[in-house]
Parts: sequence; structure tokens; C-alpha cells
Amino acid sequence: MTARVVVVTGASGGVGRGIAIACGAVGWHVWIAARREGEGQAVAAEVDRAGGRGRFVSCDAALPSSMASAVAAVVEEEGRLDGFVHNATSGLSPRPVRLADVSTADLLDHIAVSVRGSFLAARAAYPHLVASQGALLLLTSEAGIEGKSRLAPYAAVKAAQRGMVRALAREWGRAGVRVNAIAPLASSPAMERAFEADPAMEPRVLGRNPLGRLGDPVADIGAVARYLLSEDSAYVTGHTIPADGGSCALT
Amino acid sequence: MLLISTPVPELRELADSLGAEWLGFPRMDEATPEALEPIRVATRAEAGFRHVVVALWAEQVEEGPLVELDDEGWSLRAERPLLAWCVGMGIASRCVADGGAIVALVESPAPIDSEGLTPEASVAEGAIVLARSLAQSEGPRGVRVNAVTTCARLGGGALAPPPALADRYPGAVGDEVAGAIRLLLSDDAAGMTAGVTHVDCGRTLR
Repeated sequence: MTARVVVVTGASGGVGRGIAIACGAVGWHVWIAARREGEGQAVAAEVDRAGGRGRFVSCDAALPSSMASAVAAVVEEEGRLDGFVHNATSGLSPRPVRLADVSTADLLDHIAVSVRGSFLAARAAYPHLVASQGALLLLTSEAGIEGKSRLAPYAAVKAAQRGMVRALAREWGRAGVRVNAIAPLASSPAMERAFEADPAMEPRVLGRNPLGRLGDPVADIGAVARYLLSEDSAYVTGHTIPADGGSCALT
Repeated sequence: MLLISTPVPELRELADSLGAEWLGFPRMDEATPEALEPIRVATRAEAGFRHVVVALWAEQVEEGPLVELDDEGWSLRAERPLLAWCVGMGIASRCVADGGAIVALVESPAPIDSEGLTPEASVAEGAIVLARSLAQSEGPRGVRVNAVTTCARLGGGALAPPPALADRYPGAVGDEVAGAIRLLLSDDAAGMTAGVTHVDCGRTLR
């Protein structure tokens, strides 16, 4: 497998960290694009220890200038970009709510990080992904497939990302750029916060999971992401791949 | 019946066809968070509609490569419509009576026709999953929530291969689409919720 240069947003923890380490384990150059430099640098060091080359780049995924600067900085140093993973989500994601009670300001926060962030990533990365015949990968959720009664804003923006993947894969296919999504179910700080906020959620989630456990961010989710960013998936585009222990398909 | 919609001619006609009261949303170029928040708050007290239809469409369909959109173009075609859908579906959940039904009428390009319509495809999927989320949250009080998709205004371009029902394609809002809405709101659909009905003459399967 050829060493690749990839950017992962929101990689200072959780699933993003897992993807970064999994890519580092095969020698790839992984840029941790996040707001929190201390945590981001720590994950970059974990990528180094895994066998890759980790670097941190400051990035607020909801801000056009920040996303453009982050991509430009990576390409300036590496000379190429093979993959872009948009994983960052709003800090409000795990907060249980009733849709009718959510303010427009909070709704916009969900939209800005997940959906606008996907657009900004796509726009900034596209010319470089054409040059490398690379791939865009969005992290969505099973909530974005089947909805969630108490996480409706989160489910809506995750679904919007899936719609974007299908259409953009068609739009970019002729240029040789692939677009996919992963719907993971994994242990992460966000999932832990969701379980704390709704104690009934953990037994509900695990009870409908055929494998009976949450996914590991590195081994279970990172490996799928690495596949979708690699040449091994050269004929795969426009899909949302559930990496959820069978939760979505088998319940 | 209540129709929550933007001021689009096809949706005005739909209100007439369904005999619905109309709750108007602003045009998408005016649908800022600041404009939508007072609407969200003001309709808190309204309730009691047995049937609610939500259709929050842009005034006209734009097309073009995603990467050529500037920030404002993106906001107009994706962020404001998605925000409006979130607010509108929240209002629908407040306005619908126990045992009632909600239909989200979603403008959705068929996958084969989605090139140049990435923002619209994104908004459509978000709206469909809002319906699924509400089907779960409102189900315990007997409320059913379904989505109907149409490509009535998105059906341009070369149709090769042709849609399954080529003679009727893409289907009219006041005719085929209104019929599906009536079905899903009626007691004939008493066991149907969280579903998506594509009223696109078979185009989605192409």
C-alpha cells in the first residue's frame, strides 16, 4: 500500500483519533486538523508511534478561511493530498433534545460543523484530490439513516452528509475522485457523554447490536476508513458503509 | 389541515388542492436564523391540527458544481433550507394533535439526476431523516410521520434510460404528489410511519 497524505478533522479525540492512528499504522502522513492544539499534537505523536508521520494543523471546520488555510498548509508542506476525512461534529451532538425546543442558533451550530464543514472540505480539497485521484470521506452515523427520537438535529445533519455523498460521488466520478461515508458505532467521548445524558441509551444501543459491543475507534472504524481512502477501494464510491456491529442492518 | 411552506406557486396550489390552512415561511433568501427564530417561538401555542404537511422549498431550482459555489450560494441552497426544515418539522410536531399525521413533502433529485444538485440532495436526505426522527418521538402519542419525495421541478436533463412511468414523469404536485399525501394522511395508512414514498414515476430506481 503506497504511503498517502491524509487530513482528518476533529481528530484530537474519539473516532477521528482512531482513524488517524489506523492510517499512521501503515506509514501514512496524517494531519490532525482540529481546534485544540494540545490534544491534536498528542494524537500526532500517537500517529508517529504507530509508524506513520503525524502533524497538527489548526482548523475550525465551520470557518471557510480556516478550512482553506489548513488545506493549503498541508499541500504546501507535503506537495500533495490523497485523502480528506471530515469527522468533526458540533459539541451539541450528544445532547438529548426535543426538536421543537431547539433554538435556531443551536440548529445552526449542528449544520455549520457537519454540513458546512463537509462543503468547505470538499471545496478546498477538490483540486488536490483530482491531482492525486484521491478520496473524500465523511463521518456520518446510523442516526443519519434511521433517525433518532431525541437527537433529531444531529440525525438531520448526519443524513444531509449522506445525501451529499451520493450526489457528489456522481459529480466527481468523472474526475476520478471518490466520495464515501462511514456510519460508525464506536466508543468515544461523545458516546460516553450521550450515555451519561441518557442512562437508558447504553443498554438500548448494545441490546440491538448483534456483536454486543461498541466499535473500537482504531481497529473497527479506523480500518474501514483506511480502506475507503486507499487504492483497495478504487471502485467504491457514493456509499455509506455502516461500521456498527450490524446495528443498523439487523434490527 | 395545516400546510407549512415557503411561498412557492406549486405549494400554494397544493394548499388549495388539499384544502389546507397555510402557515407561511419566508423565502430562502430571507430564511436567516434571526428570521426563523420568532416563527419558531410564536407557533409554540398552536396545536390541534389532525393533519400537517411541511414543504419548505426554494423559490427556484439552481444547478451547478458544488466546488464553484461561494459561501453565500452554499448558504442559500443548503444551510438555510436545512435550517428551515428543522424549524418547520419542530413546529409540525407541536401543531399536530394526538393521533394525527405529518407528511414532509421533500424536493429530492433522483440519484441518477443529482449531478449539480448536491446541496439539494443533502437537504432532501436531512428532511427525510427529520421525518423518521419525529416518527419515533411522536409515535407514542399516536402521531404518524412520513416523507413524500418529488422531483417535479428537478426533472430536467436527458432522461436516458427513461423513467418507468415515462408518460407521467415527473408527476405534478397538485395531482400525483397530492394523491400520495392524501393517502399517507388518511386512516388507510394507519399502520404506516417513518416511511419514504417516492412520487417520481420510478425515476429513483434508475
